[in-house]
Amino acid sequence: MNDVTIDAESRTSQVTAAMKGFAHEIGALSAFRLESCIHCGMCADACHYYIATEDPQYTPIWKVEPFKQAYKREASAFAPVFRWFGFKPAVTAEQLAQWQHLLFDSCNLCGRCSLICPIGIDVAALIEQARHAMFDAGLAPEELYRKAEHQQRTGQPEASLEPYREQLRGIGEQFGIPLPIDANEVEVMLCVPRTDIEHYPAAVAALGLVMQHLGVSHTFRSDALVAENYGYYAGGKEWQRAISLRLIEQAIACHAKVLLIPECGHAYTALRWEAADLYGKELPFKVMAVTEYLALALAEGRLRLGKADIGSVSFQDPCQLDRKGGVTEAPRTLMKAMGLDLREMENNRSFSFCCGGGGGVVDIERAAPLRYRTMEIKLREIDATDGGTFLTGCSDCRHSFDDAKRHFDWDKTPQSLLELVAKSLAPPRAAL
Amino acid sequence: MSMDWLSFARGPALKVAIGVFFVGVVWRILGFALLRIRREHSRPRSGLLRYVSIGLFATATRSWPHPQFVKRTGAGEALGYSYHMGLFAVILLFGPHVAFLCGLLGIHPWPVLPSSVITGIAVVTATLFAGVLYRRLTSRVMRLLSNFDDYFTWFITMLVMCTGLATSAHLGARYETLLAIHILSVDALLIWFPFGKLMHAFYIMPSRALNGAILARKGAPT
Amino acid sequence: MNSRATVGEMLRQHGVSRRGFVKFCTATVTAMALPPWLGAAMAEQLSKGPRPSVIYLSFQECTGCFESFMRSFSPTIEHLIFDVISLDYDDTLMAASGDASESAMATAMKDNFGNYILIVDGSIPTGASGACCTAGGRSAEATLREAAKGARVILAVGTCSAFGGIPFANPNPTHAWPVSGIVGDKPIVNVSGCPPIPEVITGTLLQFVTTGQIPDLDEYRRPKAFFGNSIHDRCYRRPFFDAGQFAKTFDDEGARNGWCLYELGCKGPTTYNACATLKWNGGTSFPIESGHGCLGCSEPNFWDKGSFYEAQSTAMWGREGESQRKPLAEFAGAAIAAGAVLGVASAGAGRLRQHEREKK
Repeated sequence: MNDVTIDAESRTSQVTAAMKGFAHEIGALSAFRLESCIHCGMCADACHYYIATEDPQYTPIWKVEPFKQAYKREASAFAPVFRWFGFKPAVTAEQLAQWQHLLFDSCNLCGRCSLICPIGIDVAALIEQARHAMFDAGLAPEELYRKAEHQQRTGQPEASLEPYREQLRGIGEQFGIPLPIDANEVEVMLCVPRTDIEHYPAAVAALGLVMQHLGVSHTFRSDALVAENYGYYAGGKEWQRAISLRLIEQAIACHAKVLLIPECGHAYTALRWEAADLYGKELPFKVMAVTEYLALALAEGRLRLGKADIGSVSFQDPCQLDRKGGVTEAPRTLMKAMGLDLREMENNRSFSFCCGGGGGVVDIERAAPLRYRTMEIKLREIDATDGGTFLTGCSDCRHSFDDAKRHFDWDKTPQSLLELVAKSLAPPRAAL
Repeated sequence: MSMDWLSFARGPALKVAIGVFFVGVVWRILGFALLRIRREHSRPRSGLLRYVSIGLFATATRSWPHPQFVKRTGAGEALGYSYHMGLFAVILLFGPHVAFLCGLLGIHPWPVLPSSVITGIAVVTATLFAGVLYRRLTSRVMRLLSNFDDYFTWFITMLVMCTGLATSAHLGARYETLLAIHILSVDALLIWFPFGKLMHAFYIMPSRALNGAILARKGAPT
Repeated sequence: MNSRATVGEMLRQHGVSRRGFVKFCTATVTAMALPPWLGAAMAEQLSKGPRPSVIYLSFQECTGCFESFMRSFSPTIEHLIFDVISLDYDDTLMAASGDASESAMATAMKDNFGNYILIVDGSIPTGASGACCTAGGRSAEATLREAAKGARVILAVGTCSAFGGIPFANPNPTHAWPVSGIVGDKPIVNVSGCPPIPEVITGTLLQFVTTGQIPDLDEYRRPKAFFGNSIHDRCYRRPFFDAGQFAKTFDDEGARNGWCLYELGCKGPTTYNACATLKWNGGTSFPIESGHGCLGCSEPNFWDKGSFYEAQSTAMWGREGESQRKPLAEFAGAAIAAGAVLGVASAGAGRLRQHEREKK
C-alpha cells in the first residue's frame, strides 16, 4: 500500500518486509553487480544529475546504497556474520524514505552510468530493481503510483473526459487518416504514447499515414492503446506485468506479426526487452520500434521518402532506444534518406545526455526544479549544434523539451521525427 | 623456545592465511553465483556467439573510459592503473618475491628486474597510493561512498608496501624482524582478501564480460 | 712456565719485539672499531700486567670452538695469547688429567676468586639429572654453577654455549641450555658462531683483558664490534643481489659466475657475524666466497629455522628441500572444497528462501 497516512510502526514493518523481499528475491546477476562495486565514484561523472548539481548524493551507485546493505546483510555469503556482529545495520524506514527522492526524482534510468563503470556494472538495472523494493515498501511517488494503479486496472494511466479510443477516432477524423481499431488478422499491431493522444495528435496521425503508405495491414486495439508502462516507472512489477500483458494478449488476439512501438523510449524497453520475461516465454511476435521498422521498410523499398527541405537539424536520441536498446542508426538512416543535414550534439548517439524527463520523472511535480537544472546541459548542447530544427524520437522527450521551452523561454520547438517522415512520404510510383 | 617470528610468518601464519583466502573466496563467489539465474526470453539482436564475443571484447574496452568520458574521469582512472601496474611489477619482478611464488607453486622462476629498480618503482607506487587516499578523502563523491572496507583495504595494502620497503632498506629493526613483519602483513592481506573489495580482482573481468554480453545482446553499446 | 712473569717478559722471551706486539694490538683494536691509539695502550697494559687467570670449561660440544680458538696461521701472535693469559684450566690442552686436573681447577678458582675469566663452550644438559655430560662424576650444570661463582665475566664461546646450538635443536633430547639459561647473576658475553672466527674470540678476550670492560653488546649479548652487521651488508656478492642475479643451483652459470646465493638458502641477511669482513683462515675465505650460502650459524635456533637450501622469503611448508607445490595443492584443494561447501550452503539457503516466498 502506498498510503502516506499509515503509522510509523506499519511503515517500519512494511519497509522491513520490502527490504527482506528485495534481498531474498535477488538473483545471481544482481547480486554479482552489487558485489562488484569498488566505490570509485566514476558513475557520478556520467550522470546528468550529478554533473548539473555537483551534489554527491546523485552518484548513481549511491542510489542503491540501502539495497547493497540489505543484500549484504540478508543474502550474501557472509550474511549471517554481518547480522550477528552488527556490521551492516538493517535499513530503516526513515533512511529508505530519503531514498525515494534519489531513486525516482533524480534518475531517468537512462543508462549512462552503466556505460562508464570500469567494472561493467549495469547500475541502471540495479536502480530499476531497487524501485521494485521501494514500491513494495510503499514508497513509490504518488503520481507514479496512482497512474500505475489506474493503468493496470483500466488501460489508461489517468481517467479522461473521453476514453482514448474515442479520442483516437477523433484524431483519425480530424486528420483524415484511417486509424483502424480492433481489426483482426493484421500484420502489425500499433499502440500509441498517451502523451501523443493528449498533446501531439499529429504524431498519431503521422503513424497512421505512414502505415497506410506502406500498405501493411495494421490496427490499434482498444484494450491496449497506451504504449507507456506506469507500472514499470513506479517499480510495481506485478502491475508492469499486467500492463504489458494487455498489449501481448491483444497482439496475440489479432495474430499480429509485429508489435510496433511508437515514439516512446521506455515503452520499447518495457516491451522489447522486459515483457517476454514477465510473460514467461518468448513472445509469438516481433517487437520493433517505429524507426527500426521504417528503416527496414526503406531498405526493402517499401518506404519511399522524398527530401524534406528544412535545412539543418539536430536530433535527440531517446536513451531507451539508443543507448539501452540498440536502435541508433535507424533514425539516422531515415534522416539521411530525407536529405537532412544532421548536426550531431557534442555528446551524441549512445553518449547522448538524457532529456531529463524519462523514467517517470516528468510526472513527478516536485522533481521539476531538479529536472530543469539537468536540462540546461542538454539545451546548451542542442544550441551549440547550430541545427535549425530540433527533432526528437520520443514523445515524452518532446513533452519534456516543450516544458523546458516554457520554463527557459527557449527558442526551439521540439518536432517529431515520425511527423517529418509522414510529411516527406514520396507519392506512390505509377504502375508500370 | 618458541618459534621465531620469521618462521611463524612464513610457516603456520602463511598456511592459515592461504587457507582462509581459499575458503573465503570460493564461499563468497559461490554464495552469489549459485543464486537464481533469470532466463532471458526476449529475442536477442544477434547470435549467442556474437554477443558473447562482444562481451569478452568488453573486458578490454572497459579498461579505459570512452572518449566522451575521459575528460571528466581519465585522470582518476590513470592514477588507479599506475599504482596497479607498479604493484604488479614489484610483486612479480623482484627476486625474493619470485623465489617465494615459484617455491610455493613449484614452477620455474622467470627473469627479474634489478632490486634497485624495484625499489624505485615501489617508492613511486607507494607515493601514488598515498595520492589515491588523498583523492578518496577530498572527492565529495568518494567520501560519501567510502566505508570501512575502502579505508581498511587501503591500509592493509599500504602496510604491505611500506613494510616491504622497510625490509629492503633494512630500516628500523633487524632484517629478519622486518621480513617477518612484511610477511605477516601479506598474511593479513590474504586473510582480509575475501571479505573486502580486493575481491574485485576476481570480479572485474567476468563482470565486464557478462554485463557486456547482456548489453550486446540488445545491440546496445558496451 | 713462570706464571708470575709479566706478559711483556713472556713475549720478549719468545722473540716478539715490542713493536711487533703493538702492531698486533693495533690491528686487534681496529678490527673491533676501537680507536687506534688504544692499540698502543693495550700493548702497554698487557706488557706490564700479570697474566689474568682464565678457566676454560667445555661441556656438550664438538670441540670445534676450541679448535677455532687454537687455529692460527700467523706463527706466533694468536698462539701467544696463551701466554698473555694464564690458561689455568682447559681439559683439551692440559697435560694433567683425572683428579690432578680437577684439583688444578679448584686451586685456580680459589686463588683468583672473583677475578678469573670463565670461558665456556658447549651447551649444558639438564636432562637425566645432568648425566648426559659429566666430568669427574660431576654434572656440567653443577660444574658451571660452581665456576660461575668466582668469575669476573663469562665468555660463552660458540653457538652452543651462547644459544644452545645444535643440542638445543628440536627435540633437544638432553634438555640442553645455553650458559644464560643456567647462570643469571654474572655478566655473560656471547661469542656465537659454529664455530666463531678465531680473531673474534681472541679480540673479545683481549679487549676485556686490556680494558676490564665488557664491549658494547647487541640484544643477544654479542660484541657489536663483530656482530653488529649482517653478512648481507658486508658481502662482496651484494651487487648481484641488488642486480637480481641469483644462482639457482650449485653448478649453474650463476653459481660459476659467483652470483648471489639468496635463492640457494643463504642466510646472510639475517645473520650477524664478521665472516664477510674478517673471513676465516687468516682472511682466506668464507662460506659464501667458497660458493655455499651462509647457514646462519651464529644466530639462535639456526638449526630449527631450517630452509638451508631455500630462499628466506619462501613459504615454510611441507618438507625441507621439496617443492611446496604438492602440499600447497592438497591444502588449497581442501580449502577450496570447504569454501565450496559453505558457498553451496549459503546459496542453497537463499534459493530455499525464494522457493518459500514463491509458495506463499
